Amino acid sequence: MKKQVLPALIGIVVALLAGLLILWAQGYPPLESYAALFSYSLFSKFAFFSTLDKATPLILTGLSAAVGFGSNCVNLGQPGQFLIGAMAVTAFGIAVDLPAGLMIPLSILVALVAGACWSGIAAGLRRRFKMDEFITTLMLNFIADYFTLYLISGPMLDKRMYSPLTPMTNPGAWLPIWNGFGSAFLVAVAAFAVVSVLWNRSKIGYEWRAMGQNPIFSRTGGCRNDAAYVWAMLLSGALAGLAGGLMIMGGMQHRFVKGIGANYAWDGVMIAIVANNNMIATGLYALFFSVIQTGSMGMELETSVPSEFSLVLQAIVVLFVVASRESTRVLINNITAELRMRRARGRDKGMGDGRHASNG
Amino acid sequence: MQDQFIKMDSITKIYPPDTLALDKVDLEIQEGEIHSIIGENGAGKSTLMKVFYGMAPPSGGEIHFRGRKAKFATPREAVASGIGMVHQEFMLIPSYTVYENVILGAEPAGRFGTLRHADTKPKVEELVDTYGLNIDINSRIGDISVGAQQKVEILKLLYRDVDVLIMDEPTAALTPQEAGELFARLRGLNKVGKTIIFISHKLDEVLELSDRITVMRKGRRVVTVDNRGLDKAELARAMVGRDVVFSIEKAPASLGEIVFEARGLRYVDENGVIRLEGVSFDVRRGEIVGIAGVEGNGQYELVQLVTGLLSAQSGRVFIGGHDVTGEDVMARRKLMCYVPQDRKVSGSAQNMSLVDNAIMTHHRLNPEIEDRCEALLSSGRCRAFTSRLVEDFGVLVPELDAPISSLSGGNQQKVVVGREFMLDTDFILLDQPTRGLDVGSIEYVQEEVVRRRDAGAGCLLISADLDELFSLSDRILVMSRGRVVAELRPEATTREEIGEYMLGAKDAQEDWRAREEVGK
Repeated sequence: MKKQVLPALIGIVVALLAGLLILWAQGYPPLESYAALFSYSLFSKFAFFSTLDKATPLILTGLSAAVGFGSNCVNLGQPGQFLIGAMAVTAFGIAVDLPAGLMIPLSILVALVAGACWSGIAAGLRRRFKMDEFITTLMLNFIADYFTLYLISGPMLDKRMYSPLTPMTNPGAWLPIWNGFGSAFLVAVAAFAVVSVLWNRSKIGYEWRAMGQNPIFSRTGGCRNDAAYVWAMLLSGALAGLAGGLMIMGGMQHRFVKGIGANYAWDGVMIAIVANNNMIATGLYALFFSVIQTGSMGMELETSVPSEFSLVLQAIVVLFVVASRESTRVLINNITAELRMRRARGRDKGMGDGRHASNG
Repeated sequence: MQDQFIKMDSITKIYPPDTLALDKVDLEIQEGEIHSIIGENGAGKSTLMKVFYGMAPPSGGEIHFRGRKAKFATPREAVASGIGMVHQEFMLIPSYTVYENVILGAEPAGRFGTLRHADTKPKVEELVDTYGLNIDINSRIGDISVGAQQKVEILKLLYRDVDVLIMDEPTAALTPQEAGELFARLRGLNKVGKTIIFISHKLDEVLELSDRITVMRKGRRVVTVDNRGLDKAELARAMVGRDVVFSIEKAPASLGEIVFEARGLRYVDENGVIRLEGVSFDVRRGEIVGIAGVEGNGQYELVQLVTGLLSAQSGRVFIGGHDVTGEDVMARRKLMCYVPQDRKVSGSAQNMSLVDNAIMTHHRLNPEIEDRCEALLSSGRCRAFTSRLVEDFGVLVPELDAPISSLSGGNQQKVVVGREFMLDTDFILLDQPTRGLDVGSIEYVQEEVVRRRDAGAGCLLISADLDELFSLSDRILVMSRGRVVAELRPEATTREEIGEYMLGAKDAQEDWRAREEVGK
């Protein structure tokens, strides 16, 4: 664990330092900008809660990608699963009106199932026709994108509005906001806990991990890889679907608006890659990225650094962490080797056995 | 004293982080000798040659070749200086002809970069004749036998006009007959003045072939001796640093009921090639049945059919009296354990921890490592289970959470064997269980197998190592071209007889040839 945390921390620190240089070179006040970045994301109640809001979908899409990649399923369909999850919850919330106590768990279930169905299509195509999920999930993203666009600009359009969006869901499906704290975050935390236990402790989780590391090993050992594959795809899709569903249930809008998916899904993929499919690291990076994304708005406000600067910081973190993961290990190994060589030479001289030492 | 031909001086090689592969090795090789380097796996034989051949830079030390300091940065430079190496894995392009493979990398380019075969083809043919290699240089590599492919590797080096031939475990993939031929060829090359460095861990070969023998152990040169009246046991002791029991002590088999039965197995692969045909045999409790055969004669498919990774077109498989023909791998694992042939590919996940590697299969079958909740594994119990495995099977480990790749090959194999034996089943399938292991680990694994047999388990052992088959098996089945062609008793047969069956006993071979002709 420590070995994983250290490069991650170094990566973050180096990225922040590099960002400092870039800001300075561009003529912005670097320190004030960073002060704004963190005060608008962490150092006030409102700022902190908006960071958690932002982190909610990132945690879930990150988990979705980590479960997929970690078990050797290249699910790149998070954007589609996200949209389908959001759309299913919207439709359910409009059509059904029940008290919140029933409506909220049912909506969560709907989001999970909808996302799982969407990734399930890709899993089915793979099982039945040996189609690579890498392609099918990407293609299904387009279908989901245009399908939801069609729904919100036609059958489900709120006629009173002038842009493509649906009516609001019934209030029973709204997740409460306590004093500015959106409870959707709690759902994400619960999902994180469940998935972590499943991934690290359960039998199927063990099979997923083994399959992710060496599918021949797991198959030889008797794991039912075909079944494990389908379950991993379904879980991955369900998590992305839940991320979409929570966008409708949480926050203030409670309706499906065009562009609701933003970049959450791809950020999730990036987070999983940076975290090397480790669940705890996925959660931490999701939080870190949402800090940067939330704070960059404030930074733009205070020091007029464009909020796109958050992308620069994210990119540097990704490059440093992913690149250093391997190279740090190699570097440490080489240093150890060098030290050992020196010690061996020292031993020679110490023993007075200088036969060959002079050659070295 | 003549000028040293090859002189290695205090060669040290450290693989990062701190694997000391070579520890100040001094070695002298004289011109025109056959010099064998022998040692257990991991003794540093191959590494030493790689350093010499320019494949791996030394961390320290010097090499002199023909009185001059030599430091080859690449194998190409070594070849240019007259040193060539035949690797354990051949480096040939299967779809090219023998001739094309030979000239590859040293093509006779004319103007405009076109190939000029007019000069070189006769030259290659002449080499084949001169050295009596007896191969058709126009046949494709994919169509010729392993033994012939090895000749091509040698031919490649002769074409490049090398004076020193390094052979890295050349007999590993050969039948006894082919190995005999190889030795004759090497002696012939030696007679015309080529220096041969022969790397092996098989004592008999080394004693048969060499002028001088260097024994290596744990990255050091132990001793270099003239091959005159050497005692095999003495050499082995130098190799492993202690006495090695050569034939495993075992009591006569006390047979019990049938624990495994294959009945009429037939398997045709995707390309329509018949891989197994009418394979029927049984294994009883308390015996070890060995399967001999040149690789690629159906052993692989047989193993896959027994474990359930493939299903046969016809025939049935019974384990412990149950018909498991339609059952999947995990269902069969309740009745059998399986040591796969390649621990890195199918026996482990190299990046996973020791614990994660140790609990494979147990995670579904062994309630001992379950949590109170049945779907979960208890990490504490998994660790306890792994500690027990480590202790019972004498695995040397830094820590349980370390990736299995940090263990040596022998220790990794102990983990795999231990994991499987701890399933405690009556039928044991072993596919090359000692391949690539050092003598100490081989002995350990073999003793463990015999112990299981004496405890009443039935073992099916597939091995390419005839010594192993002879010392372990109570019966030996020989497979050739997808059939069981002979059933022999180790005490009543010789390795030559088995070798003949492996290559296809005369009549059987004719039979096959005839059929192939019809097929065409």
